[in-house]
Amino acid sequence: MLHEAPQFLVALEQSGLGAAIRQSVWLYPAANVGHILALTVFAGGVVAMDLRLLGAFAAAPPAAIVRPARALAMLGFALLLLTGSILFTAEASHVATNRVFQIKAGLIALGLINALLVNRPLHSAIASAPAFAPLPGRIRLAALLSLCVWFCVAACGRLIAYF
Amino acid sequence: MRRLILGLAGLAFAPAVVLAHHGWGSYDASKPVTVVGPIETLKYENPHATITVKAADKVWTVTLAPISRMQTRGAPPELVAVGKTVSAYGYPSTVEKDEMRAERITVDGKTVEMR
Repeated sequence: MLHEAPQFLVALEQSGLGAAIRQSVWLYPAANVGHILALTVFAGGVVAMDLRLLGAFAAAPPAAIVRPARALAMLGFALLLLTGSILFTAEASHVATNRVFQIKAGLIALGLINALLVNRPLHSAIASAPAFAPLPGRIRLAALLSLCVWFCVAACGRLIAYF
Repeated sequence: MRRLILGLAGLAFAPAVVLAHHGWGSYDASKPVTVVGPIETLKYENPHATITVKAADKVWTVTLAPISRMQTRGAPPELVAVGKTVSAYGYPSTVEKDEMRAERITVDGKTVEMR
């Protein structure tokens, strides 16, 4: 666990960029609002994708839902990264030493590793899978893990302010 | 593999459980304090404006509100400028030494709610 922020994060917070974000009346709240809106996009994509992999919406072939939902999730993630970086820069040293943020960062890494590991088997599993056919257990477990991890990431994000 | 993934899934839920007993918020509302004294420094910044106040006992860091709220409630930087005498009612931090979060402040006879 990180108890004292590394020098480069202190420098980031004290940079002109960090100061500009804090001193602007609208930029910080805008990034805050943008982060939540991006989360809704991301969560929508993740939930649709993972539920289909778990067997919901079975009347549609998996690829018909998973591919567009995954693209939506990736767009949401990119927006989350952008808005999150603004929020982080404003308070880099404080946020980095916040225990809930550290847990959140670890969970994000876990979620990304899960997505990367399942990427190849996922694409081959859904390539020609018909409607109603259950997907391999490995894919379903990865989908369940994805749902759990990303919901916990969101919960941690909100909880940073309280610890 | 299945056991590993289930274990990781369980781990993913752990933080909320482990941290829950720490309670919400890091300010002790059961020990309200009123800090009175001249403002020594002002940071009129997001996510919260902060001032340091030289009170009788020590220098307090007083956390105020987001600057958009400060402005709409009638507390522009000029109101909380360095040198002004402020009376801040709020709650001490349970984490940061000598820090408190103001519920309301009074400057120049004007009281502004921070929450």
